Amino acid sequence: METKKETKNNLNGNLKKLAEITAWFDDQKEVDVEEGLKKVKEAVSLIKSSRERLKEVENEFEEIKKEIDLDEGKESEEKEVEF
Amino acid sequence: MENHSLFDKEEVGQEVVFSVSEYIEFLNLKIKPFEVKIVGEVGQVQFGPTGHVYFSLKDEKGGAMINCIIWKSSYRTYGIALKEGMKIAAVGRSEIYAPSGRLSFVARMISLAGEGALKKEYDRIKALLEKEGIFAEEKKRPLPRYPHKIGVITSRQGAVIADFLNNLGKFGFNVRMIDSRVEGQEAVSDLLASIKSFRKKDIEVLVVMRGGGSMESMMAFNNELLVREIATFPCPVIAGIGHHKDVPLAALAADAMVSTPTAAANLLGESWQKAALLLERSQRQIISSYERTLNSSNMLLQRSLSKIKELHSRIIGQYREMENNLRLFLQKIDQGLAAARIEIKNNFGRSCSSFSSMLKAAVRQLEYAQKTTALNDPERQLKLGYSIASCKGKILRSVAGASEGEEMDLRLSDGAISSEIKKVKKDV
Repeated sequence: METKKETKNNLNGNLKKLAEITAWFDDQKEVDVEEGLKKVKEAVSLIKSSRERLKEVENEFEEIKKEIDLDEGKESEEKEVEF
Repeated sequence: MENHSLFDKEEVGQEVVFSVSEYIEFLNLKIKPFEVKIVGEVGQVQFGPTGHVYFSLKDEKGGAMINCIIWKSSYRTYGIALKEGMKIAAVGRSEIYAPSGRLSFVARMISLAGEGALKKEYDRIKALLEKEGIFAEEKKRPLPRYPHKIGVITSRQGAVIADFLNNLGKFGFNVRMIDSRVEGQEAVSDLLASIKSFRKKDIEVLVVMRGGGSMESMMAFNNELLVREIATFPCPVIAGIGHHKDVPLAALAADAMVSTPTAAANLLGESWQKAALLLERSQRQIISSYERTLNSSNMLLQRSLSKIKELHSRIIGQYREMENNLRLFLQKIDQGLAAARIEIKNNFGRSCSSFSSMLKAAVRQLEYAQKTTALNDPERQLKLGYSIASCKGKILRSVAGASEGEEMDLRLSDGAISSEIKKVKKDV
């Protein structure tokens, strides 16, 4: 199963590719129908997979303990120094 | 030293006789368990060779005074530069140092007493950190897109964490929380330990939260050490700290600052929400672009089709015209041929009769010619007794062509005679 990091990278990558496809359409003076169809099919696939990733996924919650610096405890044993 | 339990003797009600050390121990047992907070004015302040700080605390009015110690690490943690005359609150326990018999108050925590003093300290630290550029906008890091691993520092008590979790969008976040005190000066060590713990964890964003409160209750979030920890944290930090007038310094140092846990949750979900919107927008743009392409192609096809139809009609029309013309032309030819046929027929008849006449005339002419030829045939003349004389191959038509002594040939009807000319005589 895809890891969350892969999910994030894929989502990033997908959105980037979609932006490239949009820009491709904007840049064409005359869009070739065949080529345009290929791009649309690619876009549909990217959108579908991205939507899958954006589907509601339950969050995970965990309470962890803070790490206490053991050296701090030693000071309680410090002897008072006369001054 | 006598071997007995101090408490036993007390309980039994016997006269207690202590050694000095026993008595000091007895007193320490009594007083050490009690952690108290005392407020007073700082007197003499001395820094020990190990960095621990020795100071006295006295009542503003009246002469009561107590010697205090604060260990180096605690002194550094709370970031209060003790000065004579400063009014502070100290939390700790007292104990008697046996070798000197001296009572000392070991301060676990110190804080400034009074809102005025707190504000003054806030302004001082703020100015110091501002000068160092801790709060500079250029230092603020953007939150990562589509964050997943979130660290949270807040109190388990209260509504803050519940609000945060309830408003966090369901994007599969992995949230790890460390419960920490967030109230008053007491919170400083807890918050510092929590942040240091998260430094070792794999997270993408750290969220530090608490609800609103007075400057005194929020003083931990103005602690210099804490602010520096936040400013140097390895990943972006969101501070969700409620406040009224003075923005907590920890919030100023954070990469993003909001006032409520809901806002912090929304901030984390923002890029995910935007991704959803981006997808919608990309889909609309791409589909509409392609629809325009198809419409344009369709219009081109329609125009082409119309043009083709038009041309087709024109061609057909021209073809029909040509066909018609051809038909008419062929009809004319046909008519012409028919007429020619008739004429030929007629002419042929006429020609035949003319030809017949001509033939007859020709025959007559031939007959005439035959007769004429027959009449003029030299052979006929020869048969009548005439002869043809020739000399040197030439026919003699005149005596002038003959000379005496020459040979002369005579052609008769049935042969030839060779002779010699003896004499030539010309008729006068």
